[in-house]
Amino acid sequence: MLDIKYTKVTLDNGLDVIVHENHGCPIVAVNVWYHVGSKNERPGRTGFAHLFEHLMFEGSAHHQSGYFRPLQEAGGTLNGSTNMDRTNYWEVVPRDALDRALWMESDRMGHLLPALTQDKLDNQRDVVLNERRQTYENRPYGFAWMALLAAHYPSPHPYHWPTIGFPEDIGAASLNDVQEFFSLYYHPANASLVIAGDVNTDEAIAVATDHFAPLAPGSPCGSVTASLDTMSGTQYLRLNDRVELPRLYLSWLSTALFGDHDAELDLAADILAGGKSSRLYRALLHDREIATDVSVHQASSELSGVFSIVVTAAPGHTLSDINIVVADEIHRMQSDGVTEEELTRARNRMEADFTWQCQSVGGFGGVSDQLNAYNVFTKTPGFFETDWNRYKYATPGSICEAVTMLLTPETEVALSIVPQTADDAALPESDLLEMR
Amino acid sequence: MPVDRNVLPPLREPTALTFPSIEREMLPNDVRLCTIDHDQPGLVNLVVLLRAGSATDPSGYEGLAGLTASLLDEGCAKYSTLDLHKALGDIGGRLSTDVFSDATVLSIAVLERHLVAALDLLVEVATSPRFSDEAVRRVRTLRLSRIAQLRHSGASVADRVFRKGVYPSHPYGHAPIGTECGLTAIDQDQLRTFHTAQYAPDRWTVLAGGGSDSSGLRAVVTERIGRLPTVSLPSRSDLNALPTDPESAPGRLLFVPREGAVQSEIRVGLLGVSRHVQGYEALKVMDMVLGGQFESRLNLNLREAKGYTYGVRSSFDARCGRGPFVVQTAVDASVTAAAIKEVIREITDIRERRPVTDDELDVARSALTRGFPRNFETAGQVVVAAMRLELFGLPDDEYTTFIPRIVKVDRDAVTTAAQRHLDPTGLLTVVVGPPDVRASLCDLGFGEPLDATD
Repeated sequence: MLDIKYTKVTLDNGLDVIVHENHGCPIVAVNVWYHVGSKNERPGRTGFAHLFEHLMFEGSAHHQSGYFRPLQEAGGTLNGSTNMDRTNYWEVVPRDALDRALWMESDRMGHLLPALTQDKLDNQRDVVLNERRQTYENRPYGFAWMALLAAHYPSPHPYHWPTIGFPEDIGAASLNDVQEFFSLYYHPANASLVIAGDVNTDEAIAVATDHFAPLAPGSPCGSVTASLDTMSGTQYLRLNDRVELPRLYLSWLSTALFGDHDAELDLAADILAGGKSSRLYRALLHDREIATDVSVHQASSELSGVFSIVVTAAPGHTLSDINIVVADEIHRMQSDGVTEEELTRARNRMEADFTWQCQSVGGFGGVSDQLNAYNVFTKTPGFFETDWNRYKYATPGSICEAVTMLLTPETEVALSIVPQTADDAALPESDLLEMR
Repeated sequence: MPVDRNVLPPLREPTALTFPSIEREMLPNDVRLCTIDHDQPGLVNLVVLLRAGSATDPSGYEGLAGLTASLLDEGCAKYSTLDLHKALGDIGGRLSTDVFSDATVLSIAVLERHLVAALDLLVEVATSPRFSDEAVRRVRTLRLSRIAQLRHSGASVADRVFRKGVYPSHPYGHAPIGTECGLTAIDQDQLRTFHTAQYAPDRWTVLAGGGSDSSGLRAVVTERIGRLPTVSLPSRSDLNALPTDPESAPGRLLFVPREGAVQSEIRVGLLGVSRHVQGYEALKVMDMVLGGQFESRLNLNLREAKGYTYGVRSSFDARCGRGPFVVQTAVDASVTAAAIKEVIREITDIRERRPVTDDELDVARSALTRGFPRNFETAGQVVVAAMRLELFGLPDDEYTTFIPRIVKVDRDAVTTAAQRHLDPTGLLTVVVGPPDVRASLCDLGFGEPLDATD
């Protein structure tokens, strides 16, 4: 498996600095994770972590205008993203622009607030409302994940609300909220920096220390905890949407990132729907032709996870037809398990995908992002081997155990998304949801 | 060393780029083989480039190239669909078949230790698809459902109406997935005929790169691909000649109502350029300033100043023939007309009233030149870059000379490029939005909007 070498130091102010050398291309990736996401928000201010991410691109004390220009003109590419658990920021720049990238990242980590104005907040609020319209409200099936998370995690669980937030909450965010959020979560002790690429480790640590060591430490953040009440049986839900074909979402509360059976569920997902020889693809699209697509995914986060099966009906077929076939296949996996051959193929695909992802030092999912994910969630940047061993040592028996234990009606949500005028395409007795 | 917070660290000279050497070879069966010397231990990348894409679809059979490619992994001489996908799974291989307007590209990236098996599978699917009745019917039905589904996506409706508006009777006017009529009309014979003509080995350009030993890679690929029998077909020099470019049309606005939409999808553009256009470099720089990056006139105006949108961008899709130029965005429905006005204003201004400034020129050139090397980090990127040289017939030093060519672009060249390629009187505007915005579109200079259907 991959051997990713790295050096990690922790500065006095608590910032982890991790350096990985790769001299294949004259570029360097800078990747910063803040251990804050939408689960740190409170009801009434949902969507704030993500809105804040936007404000991080609007300038800081010593560079008051846009964040993009100095890095674009240096030949960089950059982006950021927010999820329930964390917010990440990255740039990939030519190797000799490392100091510029670190200057910019450290300025916004230490000195964001003096540059923030009401105008900038108002503008980015409009941008985010448009992002919400474009990505969720105006897109077919766009509300599915919001509906599923809300059902799996009843309020006040911090996974209850969507990361993009509710429009009225986005509208309510004030400069005061921005200041408070910044001082709570945006400081070295709640952050992790990776530098990966065509650099010398000692030099990179020295430049990072110059830029980040002077920043004030901030107080460590407590971790978010949450409990879930036991649920009692499948929740049947329905959404009407401007879509052509009905789509069924079956999902179960599963297991947290790196938790027991997390890897087994990844493998089970691949065996069920990875490629045209997978069980559900064959049953639904090939043999019976009652569906137009199927995907299965184990989405694991820090506190919990959701395992989901998503199937779009072929014209003329109902979600009930599909539900029967899917239930049969799950039952078959629970009672008869999986074969060694299926497991080997799933594992091979994962090894190839993982190797493929790690070809790039930067960007979402590249080596720098992966080192930070491991560091933030396990404190061990070099978790690659341990992570891979979870898949390597999974067995048909452990996969069977995982699907038997976790894919049960107690935590199941069955969401039907159907055309506006086709209520009867949904599973029977589904409760109508109104999303906004 | 303390950091000076009053000045940004300075820019350094762009790093010169040397594109890896490409070893070219004509195999005895007329397969053209390119091996790219780019070490990347672990993974190898294999590509088969065929110079036939959706623009090769015969009129009335729109979707033929796409349907052919999507049937390759649905059974071949040696394997049923199921066995083929098991074999791919055994090597962890993901086979991609992508159809573009000018090309079909089969590619696979696999762990180095599975190279031989991957090559053999690639050859199998490319040379001996079954096109069984059952598979043709099933896959066609899936693609028809996909087209029906895309009708509910404002973005893809806008793309489709725009494409057809710029190319009313040219094969660039349809997407690779094709049309309902075209797909329905295709039968097995057409698939077989298309495959025989377009997938014959003498039409192949094979590109390989990555792994830890490029000469070893070349030897293996030569041996496995070289085994393919030669196929003698009549001369085919004009097989895929593109029809004449369409005429530029006068400006107009097409409106497609979408009940309940909370945003309007907007496309503004015209017939653009081919990859062989004179002054390609100046055009690239001009596009960067206009809308080709975050810090561009369009995005700073519509997103960062006005908050109309999550993002807006412009692009010239330079193809073998003249591809489209388009500005695309999705805006809050209430500002539809205002957003279109701003887009057209920016396109008009860069030609004359507000030509590119020295500062904008510097930032755009710098972004292109200093950012260039990162496009060649992985073997996959390098193989695709080499593929583009082959597809467009560009010289091997195309990438190596890119930086100095961009540095030479000056303000006059950028303004000339805008004047030549952005004629505001010929802009086609497409709006897919809620019915009640239609009235607001009447005073944009196009007269009454033309109602378009998808």
